[in-house]
Amino acid sequence: MNETVVTYLAQYEFFDYLTAFFGENSLLLTTIIFFVFAGIFVAVAATIGGLGTYAERKISADIQMRMGPNRVGPFGILQFLADGVKMITKEDVMPRTADKFLFYLAPLMCLVGVFATLAVFPVSSGFTLVDLNVGVFYLIAISSLVGVGVFLGGYASNSKWSMLGGMRGASQIISYEIPVTISVLTITLLAGSMSFGNIVAKQEGFLTNWFVFHNPFAFIAFFVYFVGALAETNRAPFDLPEAESELVSGYHTEYTGMRFGFFALAEYIEVFVVSGVAAALFLGGYNLPVKVEIDMIPIQLVQISIIVGKSLALYYVVIWVRWTFPRLRVDQLMSICWKYLTPIAIFNLVGCAIWMVVFKGQSMAQLLMGH
Amino acid sequence: MFLDILFLGSALLTVVSAILVLTTRNIMHSCIFLLGSLIGIAGLYATLGADFVAVTQVMVYVGGIVILMLFAVMLTGGKDFVSKAQSLLGLMPTMGNAWSYGVGGLVAVVFLLTNVQLLSRLGAMAQKKNDGSFESTVNKIGHLLVKDHVLAFELSSVLLLGALVGAAIIARPRKQ
Repeated sequence: MNETVVTYLAQYEFFDYLTAFFGENSLLLTTIIFFVFAGIFVAVAATIGGLGTYAERKISADIQMRMGPNRVGPFGILQFLADGVKMITKEDVMPRTADKFLFYLAPLMCLVGVFATLAVFPVSSGFTLVDLNVGVFYLIAISSLVGVGVFLGGYASNSKWSMLGGMRGASQIISYEIPVTISVLTITLLAGSMSFGNIVAKQEGFLTNWFVFHNPFAFIAFFVYFVGALAETNRAPFDLPEAESELVSGYHTEYTGMRFGFFALAEYIEVFVVSGVAAALFLGGYNLPVKVEIDMIPIQLVQISIIVGKSLALYYVVIWVRWTFPRLRVDQLMSICWKYLTPIAIFNLVGCAIWMVVFKGQSMAQLLMGH
Repeated sequence: MFLDILFLGSALLTVVSAILVLTTRNIMHSCIFLLGSLIGIAGLYATLGADFVAVTQVMVYVGGIVILMLFAVMLTGGKDFVSKAQSLLGLMPTMGNAWSYGVGGLVAVVFLLTNVQLLSRLGAMAQKKNDGSFESTVNKIGHLLVKDHVLAFELSSVLLLGALVGAAIIARPRKQ
């Protein structure tokens, strides 16, 4: 049932040589393949996170009619490497009254929570690390480690600003988890499965088969998910945990060097992951616009570029939103979540269920075409 | 083999974290070790093939309960609440009276009997060695919840709704 990258590779001829070398059903071989692919995933995600900081600065510069970074490399594209080197070589300052153990643990927790979500991230039909039966649920569950990390970072610093930022972060993340989860549940209802592979396979074909256009309720659910995801990743206009005009920089005020870098990297990778999940759940995921029967490696690469392209388009929207809208107040933040998004999400869920019963699971396009 | 390694890792994480929860003086650290222990238990569920239960464990405990605990600890004193060296026997009278010890003892006996009942079937279960391929439990759980166990499901949801509404009423600012 659980398709993994190992079962995908096993259908190729070169895998026979590997099994001949390691032996049939070798634990070592499976472990090595998983380690290699997990390493690739983490490296690529970290690069995308690093380039995210560059994109953020460049796009914000564009919006504010500035130049942005333009010194390191062509168009300043190597700026993120320079920043990384700077962060590693910086002094690692630890506040004297900080809780040392938790202070060290918090950035790691953020990073682990984000990297763990990559295990089910649907990059293509074959190269997804593992296509769990409970994939979507697993992703939502394990990403809540980030909330713990943010909270601990704020607490362990033992500073007022960090504390306020951490508390805001944790309460925001657990509040917005509810509309996000219910929106994801709507899609689970449409697909009849919680595995990313099945959900994406159900949207095979052209744009009209995407779940966002399946029915009006799913269309609204997409926007509820997107707003909730912005809040869960602490992005503007929901960046209250690090509101720089009030809290210096919130939960990572006391962090220096690479520890701060971990927080920043976790945030940017998480934005990419939630964009990718939005693309997979609502926007057709890695499906090609035309139906392809051959399951070869070049097709897999096309699929990977399709989902990464869709994710990056959403990533652009996230950055664009950040530099366009002003920040919300805390009471507005909570009333948006509990008075608007959550009721709308529940309404969508019920609406989708009724739609599935009344129209026997047909999408809007199918009804209009008259099948 | 793979499952054995996974089981040993999860069991080790669970037990070591649980011991650390008890031995750490700082209550905040205890919460974090509890987090490790709960994740270890999720791993144990996963090795038993209960994928849905494992993920639910992470979802409920990591995403909800532990954050709630951290909030509660922080709002009630946080790291100032460091426990002093104490012996369990010396504290026994302060933990409750005859009534609470009686109820606690009864619960302990019931727990013990249920566990003995469960463990007595362990020998038969050990015969069924799994090769590491599990089938999904999600569909089964869904069907059972809305068919066989619908009363328990509805009752627990009513209970949770009551708790939610009660919390909202308690937290609401009173009009003078």
